[in-house]
Amino acid sequence: MEETKYNFDVVRWFTIMAVVYLVVGTLVGVYIASELAWPFLNFDIPYITFGRLRPLHTNAVIFAFGGCALFATSFYSVQRTGSTSLWSDKLAWFVFWGWNAIIVSAVITLPLGLTQAKEYAELEWPIDLAIAVVWLAWGFNFIMTIAKRKTSHIYVSNWFFMGMFVMITYLHVVNSLAIPVGLFKSYSLFSGVQDAMIQWWWGHNAVGFYLTAGFLGIMYYFVPKQANRPVFSYRLSVLHFWALMFGYVWLGAHHLQYTALPDWTGSLGAAVSLAMIIPSWGGAINGMMTLSGAWDKLRTDYILRFLIMSLAFYAMSTFEGPVMSSKTVNALSHYTDWTIGHVHSGALGWVAMVASGALYHLTEKLWNTRMYSAKLVNTHFWLATIGTVVYITAMWVSGIMQGLMWRDYDEFGTLTYTFAESVAAMHPYYVMRAIGGMIYWTGGAIMLFNVIMTVRQAVAQRGTAAAAAA
Amino acid sequence: MNKLRDYFHTDWSAMTLHDWIGLIITVGAFLAMVWIYARVFNPKNRERYESQRHIPFDDENTDSENQR
Repeated sequence: MEETKYNFDVVRWFTIMAVVYLVVGTLVGVYIASELAWPFLNFDIPYITFGRLRPLHTNAVIFAFGGCALFATSFYSVQRTGSTSLWSDKLAWFVFWGWNAIIVSAVITLPLGLTQAKEYAELEWPIDLAIAVVWLAWGFNFIMTIAKRKTSHIYVSNWFFMGMFVMITYLHVVNSLAIPVGLFKSYSLFSGVQDAMIQWWWGHNAVGFYLTAGFLGIMYYFVPKQANRPVFSYRLSVLHFWALMFGYVWLGAHHLQYTALPDWTGSLGAAVSLAMIIPSWGGAINGMMTLSGAWDKLRTDYILRFLIMSLAFYAMSTFEGPVMSSKTVNALSHYTDWTIGHVHSGALGWVAMVASGALYHLTEKLWNTRMYSAKLVNTHFWLATIGTVVYITAMWVSGIMQGLMWRDYDEFGTLTYTFAESVAAMHPYYVMRAIGGMIYWTGGAIMLFNVIMTVRQAVAQRGTAAAAAA
Repeated sequence: MNKLRDYFHTDWSAMTLHDWIGLIITVGAFLAMVWIYARVFNPKNRERYESQRHIPFDDENTDSENQR
């Protein structure tokens, strides 16, 4: 059989940078969570106030960590499933350096307060243009690699990555349309309720196509590979893909219930959100049932634990989200910390867990070795699980309490609590959230140490083997 | 019955271009989903789809990385 030579150097660097950004991004998150619990941590320095560091945290975890994890896994799996090398190694390196340059520019501009003030799309217009160029370079290279594949069928994980590419390109370009009035200042092309609708059309689909479709691409390749078993049902994966592609674009309006947006738009967003439980759970069950008949692997394979636990959180958050989108529940949950809890059950439990499992798998495959310490992988798993549970439990209690306090009124129709009283009541839960985040961060730091030691170990082994051969 | 008819009443003459585009895309997406469900669950296509499950394992004999 003909041997295939793959381009894995760029994948190795994306893998390492993903782990680095996981640690950095969650550290910023822990700091801003601590600022909410203990406001003196602002130190009256404008660059480190919550308002400036919060977009830095979201950009670091979503685009720096998430982006590097997606690029590493997509460039790896597209070569493996197509039995071919990347279409262009140089273009892949352009994506690596370009994406990292964008991350550096975010680290500089966001603390300086240079922002478009659009959630998950804060970066100013020159950086938006750079994102479009680098993103297109990745997508073009990915699609051209698929075009030169040696297999007849395009494996389902690649469909998810391509779906993400098409939709995020469309969403990023439309949402970022703005009129520049200076090098670092621009105004959105949209205004009023249209701006809000475009913002949340982007905002929810960043979750739907970037943090869900892209990471499902990871799941459909890495769960079967780590379990060493084919996916439970390929037909279910095809349905999962198309239902996600057709369904997700409708959901954004559920972020704007009880606003100036036409009422029917929010109802439609909620109805499609509820319908999305079916494909989401179908996909989660498909991933979990891949282990059918081999559940014992979870006792010994700690990397597999990450992948399967991530699917449990995926199922949980894709049930919670639609419930929150319904008008009855939204009347209580909107603008409260429940939303923050929901986002983090998806981000910490699903996205970061499935990515961590895939990154551990990649580390072993790319450096052709075993992890430096399997025990530390297990420690990371438990810290990540416990940290996520502590975080989201704190936010559930805090959010529901906020909602109940804000809507409570006495027999004269006067609000029972002032807003300041509800803020004071949140303090213990903000402390608990910061502790949960710190636990999660500790797991990430352990992962970084373990990955670095694994790479060092592999390089040393290779050096010893080369010396022995000489 | 009248109530139901009133509920579904549509003033077609008031439909704008945007309304028509939205309507066509919505109905088109719905029909496409029905077509996909029928195709995927058709017993004749079962083997054709399920045989692709093994793709991630097909490259193991052609893998130069594992031989380093």
